[in-house]
Amino acid sequence: MNVRVHSAADLGFIGCHVCRLVMRSASGKQRCPLCKSLIHVRKPNSLSRTWALLLTAMFFYIPANSLPVMTTSYFGTTSTDTIMSGVVYFLINGDWPLALVIFVASVVIPLLKISALSYLLISVHRGSVIRPRERTRLYRITEFIGRWSMVDVFVVAILTALVHMGALVEVKPGWGATAFAGVVILTMVAARTFDPRLIWDRQKTLGSIVPPGHGSTATS
Amino acid sequence: MFSRMALIICNECDTLQKASSLPPGTNAQCSCCSSILYTNRPGGLDTPLALMTSSLVLFLLANLFPLLTLEIQGLSQTTTITGAALALFREEMELLALVVWITSVLLPGVIISSAVYVLLALRLSLNLPALRQLLLAISHIQPWGMMDVFMLGVLVALVKLSDTADILPGPGILAFGALVVLFAMAMSRLDIRQMWNRLDVIA
Repeated sequence: MNVRVHSAADLGFIGCHVCRLVMRSASGKQRCPLCKSLIHVRKPNSLSRTWALLLTAMFFYIPANSLPVMTTSYFGTTSTDTIMSGVVYFLINGDWPLALVIFVASVVIPLLKISALSYLLISVHRGSVIRPRERTRLYRITEFIGRWSMVDVFVVAILTALVHMGALVEVKPGWGATAFAGVVILTMVAARTFDPRLIWDRQKTLGSIVPPGHGSTATS
Repeated sequence: MFSRMALIICNECDTLQKASSLPPGTNAQCSCCSSILYTNRPGGLDTPLALMTSSLVLFLLANLFPLLTLEIQGLSQTTTITGAALALFREEMELLALVVWITSVLLPGVIISSAVYVLLALRLSLNLPALRQLLLAISHIQPWGMMDVFMLGVLVALVKLSDTADILPGPGILAFGALVVLFAMAMSRLDIRQMWNRLDVIA
């Protein structure tokens, strides 16, 4: 059972996200006296902003996977690669560890981010009170792993730079790579605009008392 | 007026709690959602300053020297990190080129040089200009510096090319490999919350 201990907002306190200073919350726009960042009780318009970014990311996900990320010419033979065919390439060649890395970075992480953020948004909209700890952890993972999806974009850039020997041997980048970079950036920004404290704001409606052993700061 | 460091609010669940001092090398977790609230990093300002200064030197080396050279049947092609972005630019993928250059060169460069500058100022208690802005910049752009992801991209590209071509590592790749490791260590030793409080004392 996870019950909110003391919500800072309810107690009239506000914390700066950047320098972590704790202060009394004031009405209207408030700036942190220490680092001068704008501070908010909750991230402004968190749900609608996150939805907007997430839906745009979903839209970009289609060309990111259907358009080629690169075209390879090698002494007369030309082949195009999409995100998926890049994964398949390593599978066929038996490079299992690398196939796994690319599969996780290019397929699992973007899908996980899109579905995790959708789930979190819907759960907040519906006022869910179940498993707030697990949902917060899901958010933390989503925010942390997002950047690794960019690996495919870097691979395309490096191959374009190196495999450039006239028209016979060359790699040309495709628009799929740009769309894919768009998905990565949009989902990263979406994760940042989502406010995980909204997950917990519903918990206080339970009105329960602090459970024993939950009042002190645990160290590890 | 309570001490500035006596309270902490969890960024993820908004739980207000007391912030007691920690033994070195440990972190405090939120009593409600178990996210990490703050840490006590051993080594004070000296360790991150040393690591960041080394990172700055390696960053310059990694960007000045060639990363890789590819040889296919007598033809050869060399690239640097910026060269990878320039190649996309050459192929008229300007937007993608910008994304690659900003995340692999510009932002890491800004983070590393700002961190050296701010750490040095805090260490020597000098109230140099723009300390607040640079410390803010470090906090905000940290996730957008992607040198580690770029390094993984280099490894993937190496394996892809190893069947069809000879690849000669350049001096840049050694510097870059060391940079990725040292920079990660430097960032993990950076205590932004302590740095803000130190800045408040000297400013």
